[in-house]
Amino acid sequence: MRYEIDPTAPDGIARRDFIKRLSAASVAALGCSSPRGLLGNEGLQFVHPPATADACILLWMGGGMAAPDTFDPKHYEPFRDGLAVKDMLSTFPAIPTAVSGVEICQGLENIAQVLDRGTLIRSAVQADLGSILHSRHQYHWHTGYVPPQTVACPHLGSWMAKVLGPRNPVIPPFINIGQRLEGVGESEELKAFTTAGFFGSEYGPMNLPFPEQAAASVRPPGSMTQERFVNRERLFRRLIDQSPNRKYLSEYQQESMLRSMDNAYRLLSSADRQAFDISLEPDESRKQYEGSHFGRGCLLARRLVEAGARFVEVTTEYVPFLHWDTHADGHQTVARMHAEIDRPISQLILDLESRGLLDRTLVIVASEFSRDALIEGVPGSTATDQATVRVEQVSEMKHYGLHRHFTGGSSVLLFGGGMKRGFVYGKTADQRPLIAVENPVSITDLHATIMTAMGISPATGFDIEGRPFYVTQDAKGQPVRELFA
Amino acid sequence: MKSRLFAIGLSATLWMLLLAAIGPGVSAAELDFSHDIVPILRQHCVGCHGDREAKGSFSINTRELVEQSGHVEVGNSDASYLIDLIRSEDPELQMPPPDKPRVSAADREKLARWIEEGLTWEDGFSFAAAAYEPPLLPRRPELPPVVNGRENPVDRIIDAYLAVQGVTRPQPLDDTAFLRRVSLDLVGLLPDPSTLREFLADAAPDKRAKAIDRLLEDNVAYADHWLSFFNDLLRNDYSGTGFITGGRSQISGWLYEALVNNKPFDVMARELIAPTTAASRGYIDGIRWRGEVSAGQTVEIQFAQSVAQSFLGINMKCASCHDSFIDRWKLDEAFGLAAIYANEPLEVHRCDKPIGRKATAAWLFPEIGQVDPNAARDERLTQLANLMTHPDNGRFTRTIVNRLWYKLMGHGIVHPLDSMQTAPWNADLLDLLAVQLSDHEHDLKAVLRLIANSSSYQSRSLVEEQEPSVAEFVFRGPLTRRLTAEQFMDGVWQVTGSAPTRMDAPVLRALVDPAQTAGLVLQASWIWGDSAAGGKIPPAGETLAFRKTFELDGPVARGGAVVTCDNSFRVFVNGRHVIDGNDWTQPESVALHPLLRKGKNEVVVVATNAGDAANPAALFFEARLITESGTEVVVASDATWETNPKVPVGREGRLGAISGDWIPATVIAALDVWQQAIDTHGPPRLAQAISGNVPMLRASLMKNDFFMKSLGRPLREQIVSMRPSELTTLEAIDLANGETLADALQRGAQRLIDRPWTDRSELVHHVFEFALSRQADAKELEVALEYLGETPSEQSIEDFLWSVFMSPEFFLVR
Repeated sequence: MRYEIDPTAPDGIARRDFIKRLSAASVAALGCSSPRGLLGNEGLQFVHPPATADACILLWMGGGMAAPDTFDPKHYEPFRDGLAVKDMLSTFPAIPTAVSGVEICQGLENIAQVLDRGTLIRSAVQADLGSILHSRHQYHWHTGYVPPQTVACPHLGSWMAKVLGPRNPVIPPFINIGQRLEGVGESEELKAFTTAGFFGSEYGPMNLPFPEQAAASVRPPGSMTQERFVNRERLFRRLIDQSPNRKYLSEYQQESMLRSMDNAYRLLSSADRQAFDISLEPDESRKQYEGSHFGRGCLLARRLVEAGARFVEVTTEYVPFLHWDTHADGHQTVARMHAEIDRPISQLILDLESRGLLDRTLVIVASEFSRDALIEGVPGSTATDQATVRVEQVSEMKHYGLHRHFTGGSSVLLFGGGMKRGFVYGKTADQRPLIAVENPVSITDLHATIMTAMGISPATGFDIEGRPFYVTQDAKGQPVRELFA
Repeated sequence: MKSRLFAIGLSATLWMLLLAAIGPGVSAAELDFSHDIVPILRQHCVGCHGDREAKGSFSINTRELVEQSGHVEVGNSDASYLIDLIRSEDPELQMPPPDKPRVSAADREKLARWIEEGLTWEDGFSFAAAAYEPPLLPRRPELPPVVNGRENPVDRIIDAYLAVQGVTRPQPLDDTAFLRRVSLDLVGLLPDPSTLREFLADAAPDKRAKAIDRLLEDNVAYADHWLSFFNDLLRNDYSGTGFITGGRSQISGWLYEALVNNKPFDVMARELIAPTTAASRGYIDGIRWRGEVSAGQTVEIQFAQSVAQSFLGINMKCASCHDSFIDRWKLDEAFGLAAIYANEPLEVHRCDKPIGRKATAAWLFPEIGQVDPNAARDERLTQLANLMTHPDNGRFTRTIVNRLWYKLMGHGIVHPLDSMQTAPWNADLLDLLAVQLSDHEHDLKAVLRLIANSSSYQSRSLVEEQEPSVAEFVFRGPLTRRLTAEQFMDGVWQVTGSAPTRMDAPVLRALVDPAQTAGLVLQASWIWGDSAAGGKIPPAGETLAFRKTFELDGPVARGGAVVTCDNSFRVFVNGRHVIDGNDWTQPESVALHPLLRKGKNEVVVVATNAGDAANPAALFFEARLITESGTEVVVASDATWETNPKVPVGREGRLGAISGDWIPATVIAALDVWQQAIDTHGPPRLAQAISGNVPMLRASLMKNDFFMKSLGRPLREQIVSMRPSELTTLEAIDLANGETLADALQRGAQRLIDRPWTDRSELVHHVFEFALSRQADAKELEVALEYLGETPSEQSIEDFLWSVFMSPEFFLVR
C-alpha cells in the first residue's frame, strides 16, 4: 500500500486478529447469505469459467441509442421537405470502417477506425414491457431483471463487486460515472437499479456524477488540509485505543467497522486516489477526451481501470427528453451525440491498447433499446406511441429523426476482454421492421456473456429470503460463445 | 422454448453424484416407487432438483411438481423430455451434466417405466426436508418458577431456558449504558446530559421502570422513532419510484397519527388491510407500474405478498410464481390471497403463464374462518382484516412481537424475522409476548415495556468474537446493535444542534396546548354549487369541482388543512392529489407544507353528493399555513371560491385540465350535525398544523438521501424488516468526507465554541456525556485536550466531534 502522506501515520488501534475473519463478517447484509452451493453441500458449487477480462467498462448510451443512426446503418434518406416518415430508416449515410465490408454511420469516423478491435452485436433485443419506459428497460439492462421485483436487485457492477471483489483493495470495485441521481427527472427510478440491492451497500456504486469533481470525492472534506486529515485520523485512533468501553463491544462488530474506516482512510490518503483526478492527466492526452462530460468520464474510467478498478460505468447521462432520448429533432440531436462519443470511445480503446490493458478489459457500449421512425416497441406491440411529433411527412428539421422506442433490434459493441476482433454478430432486417433476423441476443444472454468474460458463472446465485437469486435470470443465461476469441 | 430453457438451466450446473454401482437388470415385476425410483432420483437428481434446490426452476420434490414441470408426459416416456435428457449423448443437453456419471441403462429404463406406469408416488412423500409447521392458535405458556426474585415473566422463561442450555446469565447492565440503550431503543434518541445526570442521581429502586414509562409516554419522540420501523415494514416513504406517476400513494399522515396516538396494532392492521379512508390505502394498493408486469408482480400479487410478509412474516414470493420449493405455500394460496384484493376475476398464472382457471379468494388459515369469495371486494377485505386480527390468529401477534423483540434484543426469537414458518428458539417466550399483546388490547408499548423492564433486557450485551450463527443460535443475552441511519443522524443532530427545520414528511407533529386549540376559531363556510342556491336541495350524484387560488410570500414552513364534505371529496393541491374522504362525520386533515410554493398556488376539490334522491350537500375546507417568513395564511371555503360542473379526469394522481365555466360557489347554512363534526375535529388539527412548538426534527421525517441510504436506510420499494448490521467502506468514505456530516460538525463546533465553558475539560465531558452517555476518562481527556489545544479552534472541535461520532462506542448500542 502506498500512502501518499505521512507513512508513519498511526496504525495504532489495538487490533486483534481480525484479518482471518474478513470474509465472514461482510456476508450477512440483509439476510443475504453465502453463495448457493456453499451451504453445507460442497459438491454443489457452480464452477466459474476462466476469466478473459479482469476489468469492465460499460459505456452507457442512456435514453435509447438508435441503431440505424449509429452502428447499424440502413437505407439513408437525407432531409427533405415531404419525405415520408415510412421511408425514413437511417438519417445518416454509412461510412466504411476498419473492418472490411462493415459500415457504420457517418459521424462515428473515429470509432470506425477502431472497430477492428471489437465485436459488434447488431441483434440485441429487449423485452416488450407493454409500455416503453426508459427506467424499466434500464433497470432490466443493468440488473438482468424486469422490474418490479420482490427483492431489490443488484446492479451488474455489484455482482462483480460481490463475486470478484476489488482488483486493487484501495479502489472501490464499482464506480458509476456521469449520472446525476438528484435533481433530474426519474431520479428515483435511476436509484432503484443503481444499487447493490440485497447485497448491501458494501457492494454498491461509488457515484461520481461529475468526472471533473471526482477527485473531491476521495479528498479530505472541504478545505481540510492533508495534515489536518492525518491528525484527525490520529486523534480518532488514539481515542479508540483509550476507550475504556471497547471491551463491552463485540469484537467482530468493532473490527468490521474499523476495517471500513481503515479502507476509507487508505483510499483518501493513498497515492492511488490520484486516479480520480483527471486534471493530473497530461494536456496532450486529456485533449483527446475533452469537449463533453462523457468524454471526461471516459478518461476518468481509463485512469481508474489503470489504477485497478473492477467495474466502471460511464454514461452519456439519462435525462428524460435529452441526449439519446430523442422524441423530436432526432437527427440533429444524434449528430451532437456522435460528436460527444466518437473520439472519447475510440481514444479509450486506443489508450487501453497502448497500455496493454485492452486484452483484459472488457469495454461495452450499449443502450436500453434502439429507436425507429415509425414503430413503438416491436411490430404488433400495444405500447403507447411516445413520439412528441407525429407526422406522416417530414416538413421541418424537428420531424427528421428516429423518435420512437424500438425494442426489436439494437447494437452493442464489445471491445477487448477476450472478445473477437473485427467481428460482427447477428443482423437486423434491411427493411422495416428492422428487427433482429439472425442470432438475436437477449439481455439475459448478453449478461451471461459479460459475466462469463469476467469469470463469473451465469448460474452464480445467492440465497435471499430463503430462495435462490442468480446473476442471470433464473440462472438461465447462456454466453454467446461465438463472440469469444 | 420451454425445453430449451430447461436444458440451459441444468447444463449450467454441476451435479454431485456418488459413483453408482450398476444395478441388476430391469425386473419385470411392478416398480416400487420407494425402493426402485427414489434411490435413482436421490442419486442423480435430488442434489440439484430436490429439497431447496431447483436448478432451472425444476424441482422434483413432489409428484405434482414433476407433473406440472412439463418435462414429463405421464404415460408416455418417449414423449417425456426428462427421458430425452437422460438418454442424450449431447453434452449441451444431457442430464446429469457431462461432468457427472450417467444414469445407468437399467436405471434409465426404470425411470421410463415409471413414467409409463403413471408416475406412481407415495402419498405425502416429498424430497423436501420435513418442515416445521408453527402453531396457529395463541398459547398462554406456563411460567417457570421465579428464580432469585426475577419475577418478570420474560425473565422466568429466559432463566429456565438458560438453565436448560447450561448458559450463565449475562451480567447486569450499568445505569449509564441502560439509559443510552433504552432511549435509543424506545425513542431513537440519545439521553441528553441533564436527563442522564438526573437519572444517575436518582436513588429510587424503580427508576428504570420510570425511565421506561417516561420514554414511552413521549408520544412524539416515540412516533418519530417507530415511524422508520413501520415505513420499512409497510414500504411507505416520502419519495421514491412510483410516486411521480401516481402509481403509489403515501400513508404517512395516517401512520404518524396512529403512532402518536398509540393506535392498537390490530386496529392499525385492520385499517391497512381494509382501509376506510384514502389515508391508509397506499399500503394495499402497492406500486402500480406503467406497462406490463409479470404475473408475480401485479398489484394483486403485491397485496398478497405484502399482507403475508408485514403481518405474518410469511414469504409468499416463491408461491406467487409456483408452489414454493422452500416451504409449504402453494401457488393457489398466493393467488387466493391476491383474489381477495382483485376487482376482477384473477387468472392464476404459473411462472408467468396462465393455467386456465381463476383464483378463488381465500386466506391462508381456514381453521379460524374464511373469506367469502362471492362477497364484494370491500367486504372481502374487511373479512380478511377481521381474520388477520382474529383472537385465534396467534401468528399475527407472534409476528409483530418477534419484530419488537428483535429491535430491542438484536436477534429474533424466530430469525430472520420474515421466516415465521420456522421454529422459534423458545416458543414459550414468543407465545408469552404474543399473549401480552392481546391481553393489553394490542398496545405495542405494553410489549416494549415488558421487555425493557426485564432483567434479560437490562443485561450487558454479549461480547462476541464472531457473528452468532442463525442455525445454531442460543440466546445468551442481548446483542450489540449498530445505530440505524436515522439514529446516527438524529444523534449527530442532537449533539451538534444542526437538525433541519423543515420536514419532508406530510405529517402533523407539533405539540399543542389546549389553549391554542380553544383559541382557534374556524373561518371557513360550507359551500356548494348553484344547485343549492336559495335553499334548493342538490340532486343525488352531483359532482362539482371547487377551486381557490392564492398567493404565498414564500415556501410554507408548516401548515395543513381540514376537509370534510357531505358526501365525498378529493383534494388536489397544485395539481397533485393529496387526500380523499367519504365520511362527513370524520373530517380529514392533511399536512400541506410539502406541496405549496412561493407565488400562486391552487387548491381544487372535487366533491360529490351521494344518495338516491336530492339531499343536502356541502364542502368545508380550511387550511392554516405559516410561511417561512412567518406570515399566517388562511385558505377557507367561502363565496370567493369558484365551482364548475365539468369535473376534470385525473390521471396518475394528477388533476386533468378543467374546461367549462367557473361560477362563484354558493355559501349554504350548515346542518347542525355537520358543524358539530367540524367543530370537534377541526380546531385541534389546525392548531397542530400551525403550532411552532416543534421538537427537533428527526431523520425519519426527511426524505431518503445519499447519506442515509449509504447508512442503510432502504429505498422501500420492497418491504425490509431488517437493516444492515455493518458499516461498509462506502459509508465510511461518506463519513470521512461527506458534506452532510461535515456541515453538521461545522454547525456543532460553532455552537459549542460559543458556550461559556468553565474550562476545556467541560466541553470534552459534555460531548462525551451527550454522545456516549459517560464522561471522558483521564486518558481520553488528555488525548482530546492535546488535540484541542489551549484555545480550541472551530476546526479542532469539528475534528474532535468527528472522532467521537466515528467511534464504535457511538455507532454501536451496547
